[in-house]
Amino acid sequence: MPVVTIDGLPISVEPDTLIIQAADRAGIEIPRFCYHPDLRPEGNCRMCLVRVKGFARLTPACTTPVADDMVVTTAHADDEVRRASRGVLEFLLINHPLDCPICDQAGECSLQDFYMHPDYGLHHSDVESREKVRKRKAIDLGSVYLDSERCVMCSRCVRFSNEVTGAGELQFVHRGNHVELVAFQDRALRDPYAGNLADLCPVGALTSRDFRFKRRVWFLHHAPSVCAGCSTGCNVRIDYTERGIERVVPRRNPFVNRSWMCDEGRFSYQTVSQLPRVTTPLTREGEDLHPVSWEQALACARGAFSLPRRGEAAVIGSPMATNEALWGLQEYARNMKDPVALEFRSTSADPDVEARLDELLLHADRAPNSRGAMMLGMGASDGLENIAVRAEQGMIDLALILHYPPVVPAGQPDLDRRVTALARLVRHARFSIVLTNADEDWWHAADVILPVASWSEEEGTYTNFNSTTQHVACGQDPPGEVRPAWRALLDLLASVPAARRYGSAQEIFDRGVAAMPAFDGLRFDTLVSRHATVYPPEGRTSYGQEGFAGR
Amino acid sequence: MTKVLSQNAEFADQTTLAGAESRGAYDGLRHALEQSPRDVIQEVAESGLRGRGGAGFPTGRKWGFLQFDPARPPVLLCNGDESEPGTFKDHWLLARDPHLVIEGILIAAHAIRAQDVFLYIRGEYESLLPLLMGALEEARAAGFIGPDVLGTGRCMAITVATGAGAYICGEETGLMESLEGKRAYPRVRPPFPAVRGFAGRPTVVNNVETLANLPWIMRRGAAAFHALGTEDSPGTKLVSLSGCISRPGVYEVPMGYPLSALLENEGGGPLPGRHLKAVIPGGTSVPILTAEEVATVTIDFESMRAVGTLLGSGGMIVFDDTVSMPHALRSISHFYATESCGECTPCREGTGWMAAIVDRLLDGGARKDDLDRLLRIGGNIEGRTICGLGDAAVQPVRSFVLKFRSEFEALLRDTIPRLEPDWQAHGHGPRTARRGAVGEEARRSEAVTGRPTYRW
Repeated sequence: MPVVTIDGLPISVEPDTLIIQAADRAGIEIPRFCYHPDLRPEGNCRMCLVRVKGFARLTPACTTPVADDMVVTTAHADDEVRRASRGVLEFLLINHPLDCPICDQAGECSLQDFYMHPDYGLHHSDVESREKVRKRKAIDLGSVYLDSERCVMCSRCVRFSNEVTGAGELQFVHRGNHVELVAFQDRALRDPYAGNLADLCPVGALTSRDFRFKRRVWFLHHAPSVCAGCSTGCNVRIDYTERGIERVVPRRNPFVNRSWMCDEGRFSYQTVSQLPRVTTPLTREGEDLHPVSWEQALACARGAFSLPRRGEAAVIGSPMATNEALWGLQEYARNMKDPVALEFRSTSADPDVEARLDELLLHADRAPNSRGAMMLGMGASDGLENIAVRAEQGMIDLALILHYPPVVPAGQPDLDRRVTALARLVRHARFSIVLTNADEDWWHAADVILPVASWSEEEGTYTNFNSTTQHVACGQDPPGEVRPAWRALLDLLASVPAARRYGSAQEIFDRGVAAMPAFDGLRFDTLVSRHATVYPPEGRTSYGQEGFAGR
Repeated sequence: MTKVLSQNAEFADQTTLAGAESRGAYDGLRHALEQSPRDVIQEVAESGLRGRGGAGFPTGRKWGFLQFDPARPPVLLCNGDESEPGTFKDHWLLARDPHLVIEGILIAAHAIRAQDVFLYIRGEYESLLPLLMGALEEARAAGFIGPDVLGTGRCMAITVATGAGAYICGEETGLMESLEGKRAYPRVRPPFPAVRGFAGRPTVVNNVETLANLPWIMRRGAAAFHALGTEDSPGTKLVSLSGCISRPGVYEVPMGYPLSALLENEGGGPLPGRHLKAVIPGGTSVPILTAEEVATVTIDFESMRAVGTLLGSGGMIVFDDTVSMPHALRSISHFYATESCGECTPCREGTGWMAAIVDRLLDGGARKDDLDRLLRIGGNIEGRTICGLGDAAVQPVRSFVLKFRSEFEALLRDTIPRLEPDWQAHGHGPRTARRGAVGEEARRSEAVTGRPTYRW
């Protein structure tokens, strides 16, 4: 492997690595606007110029591959490089409106960050404001707003639109310092991935319509999570405040979603926050359900566990649930003496978790953990619809149901069939316990309702379409008396002597889930420290790449 | 003086194939086709021919970089964009002796084994197209172009493409982008065009004048060509002479010909009663020469380099004592500001800033350190851009300011200096700085419409 020396530090990297990538790996900061790890380098911003020994001119670190014995110096160690970077930053600020106080990017803006860095900025302006080229402001492009004045012409957005999604909706027009980013006739972008443009933009030229003016970014708390919108499992970061989730942005994972996520997933947090919730346990008294304490509800439900039975019990999971919640369902089923129908599917066919909706990210299976449910062996019966038929024949004594509505507006393909079957099951089972986060009609015939946490309100793990298990952190507190599903399930089993008693999602994963053959060898800590990134299943060292190769 | 390029240009029927052939056109091609491509490259390398587009790179060596790969056949691009201000020699050649250029193109295509050739003409030269297409049609009918050139089995096709009037299209990678139908943004090198050029294929880009030398070299041999001009710059040069001179026009002179002799003999000296002040020797992108420097320099790559300038395209612009250098610089710096393609930061932002400063030097509102500011901005552009046009924009500004500093300083004295309160401490500039006529008009329009006024 070539060894390149950057600022005196020898770094060993694979051939064809770019200087900027080698520096990133070694933790040496090289300022940049146009370089993005998931886009083809273009070298147009000139901010990343470095000196390579033997080269006549300064060269952009983002377009120059390393060679063995290459000696590179950056702005931290070389006066001329520092002058070049300072010069570029000064040029970029000439026609910039300097409207940071009213700019939504402030706080996460490359221009701002580099200006505040003593090596590149902190200069006095040499320009008079009347010399500025004025460009257009606040152009509504649908999911993003374009403020041309703030643009640094790095072309990240243009390249994203051309290379990643192929939408090709953005282009530069005019020449010289009048160059301006435009969408054709200012029409709204139709790209279902256009929300990424706001994340991609290093400055405030493209800002998110959804997040604009909602919160200053320095007030945000961050939680690393995974999108629950489909079986892709895009890595996301939940940005929340005391008000709840403010926005969701993608986290880079080269094996799963690179740096992108779809707009449906991005705005799925709105579906979650607008969901009509059930926030207290309910039990049946005659015709009506009445709010009760958790103790009362659990006592009522536990009684059903030990009732003498003639028929079958049904334990129904959801592909929206975490592995830990599903494991709790299994633990419940394991501790029953009677025959149990353990199921999460509508029919006896496994969901097709690998069917794609497009060539980039979206999968047809709109649940985050179908693969996890399959790997845990949740599909051990003949499908929810058949169980409902048996319930109608009076063969189901006890039904324990965990259900979440989908988080994306498109919904799950089989949602209607599923809810209809659940309603039949609840109506005809002798006793039914429903764990859910949503106030919905279908469960009004149930006997006990236990309110559980939604996506983003509990910690856990999801396993995506290609068997990558990823950690989901808790992004906000659950409302009311809501508990995580795994805790509610273990609480149900508290009176069963043989049941295992775990106190956290981590304990369930390490001692319960990871003991299953399909999850063999995984550790919760590892998933957390990788920020929910890839853990390759047995026999594979890396994967996902071929499916995500750029056009 | 031996003429390589312009020997037949004065004949009215030289634009027809019959007239051109009567004076030996396409003999050089026949001669070249008898040799192997490798031998042609060798011959051109021995002739010492250097590129006439501006950089002066040895043509034979440029062709030698090409690796022949049947999967990605090479492409020849003939650069007729000729957008360098003060340069009009390629137009002159194409208009008077199109068959000479076509023959040169075919010889080069044979040498690099290119079947696909593109002749890129700048958009403003579209009046040349009927003549050029007529000449190409004649050459095709006579079997010089086509699937089987002169019965040798070689296939050569020439496609004429026109630009849309952008300076950047003369830059070789910008030209390739333009040919591919994209916005002409220069490419980052490496990869160099010889490795990955037009449509990802190995590509050679040669200037029109460079290729027009080839028929003569093929007919007379490398040694005869090398005997012309100087040791390091063999051959002749077409010079576009313009500006304050009695007889402007295109002249062919041997390399090494004194610049002062060109001005006196071919150019007929300054206009009556005027005196030479300065000459830009190679298009506006090269540093200007003062009258004293003009007296010492000869027309070849080395001599020009020795006085700190470049032969460039040979577009010579003459200034006499009636010319105000700051006004001339305003024109030039606005050219670069409006023609910067806008791809990379230093050139996009810096050229506009320099033009604005030159403007305020002339219109009022200048700051007393503006000359140093111009030089500092130039230093931040030069060597920091993707293509060479960033450097090109800096050369005139720097050389004008350094060599004619007194004229610029006089402006600083005469102008009402910009008010210089310590406003940086307060964070606001004065609103009352004196504005030029243009600025005043814009301000009034702003006041009426309430909207900012755009320059375009």
